[in-house]
Amino acid sequence: MLDSFLFVGLPYISLAVCVLVTFYRLRHQRFAQSALSSQFLENKQLLWGSMPWHIGIAVILLAHFFILAFPGLWQALVANKTVLYIFESAGIALSMLALVGLAVLLVRRITSARIQAVTTTMDLVILLLLLGQVVLGMATAGLYRWGSAWAVNTAVPYVWSLILFKPEIAYVTDLPPLMKGHIIGAWLLLLLIPFSRLIHVFALPLQYLFRPPQKVVWMDSRHQEGELSLAEAQESRRYFLRAALGIVGGACLLFVGAADKLFRFFFGPRLSQKEEASIMSERLSLMQKTVEQKKYELERQQNDYIFISKLSDLSAQKGKYFIDYAMTPALAFLDKDNLPLLLSAKCTHLGCTVGSNVDADGKILCPCHISYFDIHSGMPNPDSPAKAPLPHIGWVLMDQSGKMVASKTANGKVTGNPDLTDLSQYSVFVARYQKEDA
Amino acid sequence: MDVRAQVSMVFHLDKCIGCHTCSVACKNVWTDRAGAEYMWWNNVETKPGTGFPTLWEDQEHYKGGWQLKNNGQKDLELRCQGKADAFLKLFYNPNQPGLEDYYEPWTYKYQDLFDAPEGDDQPTAIPISQITGEPIDIEAGPNWDDDLGGSPLYAENDPNLEGLTPEEREQLFEIQRVSFFYLPRICNHCANPSCVASCPSGALYKRGEDGIVLINQEVCKGWRACVSACPYKKIYYNWKTGKSEKCILCYPRLETGQPPSCFQSCVGRIRYLGVLLYDAERIPDAMKVPDDQLVESQRNALCDPFDPKVIQAARKNGISEEFITAAQRSPVWKYVMEWKLALPLHVEYRTMPMLFYVPPLLPVMGKSGDGPYENNKDGFFSGLETARLPIKYLANLFSAGNTQIIEDVLKKLMAVRYYKRALDMGEFDIKQSTSILREAKTTPSECEQIYALTTLATPFDRYALPPIQREEALEGTCNPEICKGSCGLGFSESAERGP
Repeated sequence: MLDSFLFVGLPYISLAVCVLVTFYRLRHQRFAQSALSSQFLENKQLLWGSMPWHIGIAVILLAHFFILAFPGLWQALVANKTVLYIFESAGIALSMLALVGLAVLLVRRITSARIQAVTTTMDLVILLLLLGQVVLGMATAGLYRWGSAWAVNTAVPYVWSLILFKPEIAYVTDLPPLMKGHIIGAWLLLLLIPFSRLIHVFALPLQYLFRPPQKVVWMDSRHQEGELSLAEAQESRRYFLRAALGIVGGACLLFVGAADKLFRFFFGPRLSQKEEASIMSERLSLMQKTVEQKKYELERQQNDYIFISKLSDLSAQKGKYFIDYAMTPALAFLDKDNLPLLLSAKCTHLGCTVGSNVDADGKILCPCHISYFDIHSGMPNPDSPAKAPLPHIGWVLMDQSGKMVASKTANGKVTGNPDLTDLSQYSVFVARYQKEDA
Repeated sequence: MDVRAQVSMVFHLDKCIGCHTCSVACKNVWTDRAGAEYMWWNNVETKPGTGFPTLWEDQEHYKGGWQLKNNGQKDLELRCQGKADAFLKLFYNPNQPGLEDYYEPWTYKYQDLFDAPEGDDQPTAIPISQITGEPIDIEAGPNWDDDLGGSPLYAENDPNLEGLTPEEREQLFEIQRVSFFYLPRICNHCANPSCVASCPSGALYKRGEDGIVLINQEVCKGWRACVSACPYKKIYYNWKTGKSEKCILCYPRLETGQPPSCFQSCVGRIRYLGVLLYDAERIPDAMKVPDDQLVESQRNALCDPFDPKVIQAARKNGISEEFITAAQRSPVWKYVMEWKLALPLHVEYRTMPMLFYVPPLLPVMGKSGDGPYENNKDGFFSGLETARLPIKYLANLFSAGNTQIIEDVLKKLMAVRYYKRALDMGEFDIKQSTSILREAKTTPSECEQIYALTTLATPFDRYALPPIQREEALEGTCNPEICKGSCGLGFSESAERGP
C-alpha cells in the first residue's frame, strides 16, 4: 500500500501539481519569477558553488533523460567496457562537481548574513533535498555494481510504465532502499518545483540564441504591421497558450483513449470459449435477420406480385403482417364479404407498427401512443394522437391455376365476382403495378 | 531611411554646482524602497574621481558596451558575452559589480536614542545595514569621493587619466591648483543600447515613440547580463525582488507633460530636454568607425528636423507632428548639431548615448603666486594650453581621445565669453573679440543664441517636450488595464519576490 502510494500515487500527484501550478505561475505570477540571484550580495563563494553545481547537475540530468529516452542505445553503449568506464568516471566526476557546488552553496547560505537576508525556509528545504538526492544517486551508482546498467532494466521500465498509464511497481519494490530513496526524492523535487526557486529552470532563455540584438516596442497603432506591440505579443501569447492547452489536452485525451485500447488489446482479459460462442451466435442471428430482409427485397425486385396468404388463412379477428412494395409493414384481414382487406400497418402518427388484434369495435391499436384505427375505414378515433387514416392497400385474388379472379384498387374499387364458397382455392397477392381507376 | 524620435538630453557642466538635488529628487521618487536603497538612477560624480560604482569606466574589468570584432570585418559585438557563453554566465557573471563596488546601504538605530538607559554619556545612534540589520562599519557610501578631486585614493585612479603626461598629471593634482568638476549621470537611453542586446530574457526594450529604454519587470528573470553589459553601470540589480531596474526617464511625468524629476529639481538649470530625430538604419555603420571618428559619425546619424526629406520620412514612420515640431525647437539639437558644443560621454563604448554634455571650461581667471591672488594681466582668460583640466583628460571623457573636438568646443565657449565681456563690460576691444570669434568658427548672432539658451533660458526653452499622449496610442491597440503592468515599474500585481 505504501509502495503504491510512493511509486504510483506520488509521481502522478507530483506531475499533475507541477504542471498545473507551474502553468499558473508562468501565466499569472510573472513578476514573482526570477532566478533570484544573490551574486550581488556575495560574489566570491558563489563562483565555487553555483558554477560546479549547475554544470554538474545539468549534464547528469541530461544523462538521466537520455537513458530514459534511449535505453536500448544506452545499453549498447555501455556494453563496451571502455565506454562504460568512461561514462562511469565522467558520472562520478560530474556528481562530485555537483556535490561540492551544492555544499558550498549550502554553507554560503547558512554562514553569510547578507545571504540570510534573502533566504527562505523553502530555499533551505530545496538545498537539503538536492543534497540528499545527489548523495543517494552517488551511493546507488557507487555501492551497487553497474548501477548505470541497472537503471535500464528497473527505473526506465518503471518510469515508462508511469508514462503509459500502466503503472508497474514491481520494477522498483525490490530495489535497495537507497535507490528507492533516490526515486522518491525525484518525485518530491518535482512536486516542489512550482513552489520554490526551482521554477527558474523554466526561465532558461533559449530565445536569446535566435533574437536580434535590439528590441523596439511601439505602442502606436501605425507600427502594428512590422513589429508586434508588447501588449499584442502578450495577447497572442495568451491565445497561443490557450490553443496549446487545448491541443495538449486533446492530445492527452486521445493518448489516454488510445493507450487504453492498446492496453486492453495487448494486456486486457481474454474471453472464455463460452463467451466467444455466445457472441458468435448473436452475430449469426443478426446476419440471419439481414438475410431474411434481403430475401424480401429480392422477391419484390423480381416479382410483380407478392404472395401474402391463402384466403382461407386470413381472419377477421387477427391480421396477418406482410411487407408491401414500399417496404413498409402492412396487415391483411378477412373482410365481412369474405374478400381480403389490406391496410398499411404504419401508424400515421409517428410510424410505429400497429397491432394486429382486432377488438370488439373492429379496431386495431397502435401501442406507441394509443391510437385506435378502424380496420374498415382506416380512420383513427377522434381523440387519438394520429389524425390521418391508415391507407388501404389494393389486392389481387388468384385461383390455383394462377388466373386472376378478382382485384381491388387502393381506393376501394373491386372488380370480378369470384365464387367464394371454397376460400382455400384462392390466394391473396399485392401487385407491383396496380392500375389506378379513373 | 528609418527615422525615429528620441527624447534626449544635454547637461551643461559649466553650470553644475554639485548640489545633488537631482539625485535626491530621483531617490525620493523612485528608489526609496527595500532592495533599491543603494541605487542612484541619477548620481553626480566628482571628476577626476572613481565614480559610482567604483571605477565604472574600467571596461577591462566590467566588460560593458560594444567592441569591434577582431576578425577585421568590423562588426560590432558585445564586450561582455557572446550568444553561447551568455548561458554559462547565467550561473555566475564574472563581470557583475558586487555590493562592495557600490556600498552597503545603511541606516541608524534611532530608537537607541530614546531607549538608552540613563548614563554619563550621550546615547548615539549606531549605523546598521539595511540588508542584514546588523551594525556595520561604514566603508563607502553614495558620493564617497565627493569633491575629492585631488585625492590620491580616489581621483588618481580615474581611468580617464590614461594617456596623460606626468606633467599633466602633476598639474592636475598639485594641491594648490587642484581642480575638479561635477559629472551628473543618468541612463543615456542609448540609440544602440548594449543592455537591450545582452538581455537573455528579452526584458529590456526601447520604446519606439520616444526612445526610452525600459525593463519589463514581468519578463526580467534576473540574469543580470544587462548590469555588466551597460558600460555606464546605470542598471542596478534589486537584491530583494531579484529583478534589474534602471532610470525610466520619469516617463510617467513625461507622458503628463512634465520634465523628469532630476530636470525639474536642478538648481543650476544645467539640464536640457528635447527631441532628436535619428536614422536607425545608419546606427550600425556609424558605430563601426575608429574611436576618434565616433563623435562625428554619431552626429551624422542624427537627422536635421528642418530637412523636408527627413520630415517626410519621419511622418512615414509614424512620428507625430508634435514630435517633429518639438524636434525643430529642441535645445538638444542646437547644442549638439547647430553649435556642436555638447558631446556624448564615452562615445567609445559604441552605444550611441543620447545624453550629451557641454564640457566644463574651468578657465584660469587669476593666479596665486607667492603674493596675493591677482587677475591675469595678459587677458581675462588664460589660453587653452594652461587650462586647469588637461584637454587630453576631457577628450578621454567626451570624444574618445580626440583632442581636436574638445579644443573646438572650448574655443567656442570661450569666444562667447569674450564676445559678451566686450559687449557688456567693455573689458575687451570689440575688434579683438571679433578675431577670437573667427578663430572659434562662430558668429556674433550664434554667440547671442548660445548665451541666451545657456544663461537666460526659461523652462519652456530648456524642456521642449512634445505631448506624448501615449495613453491614447495605447488605447487603440490594447486595454490599458492589460498593458499597464508591462513596462517600467507599473505593476498590475504586487512587486513581491517569488518563493
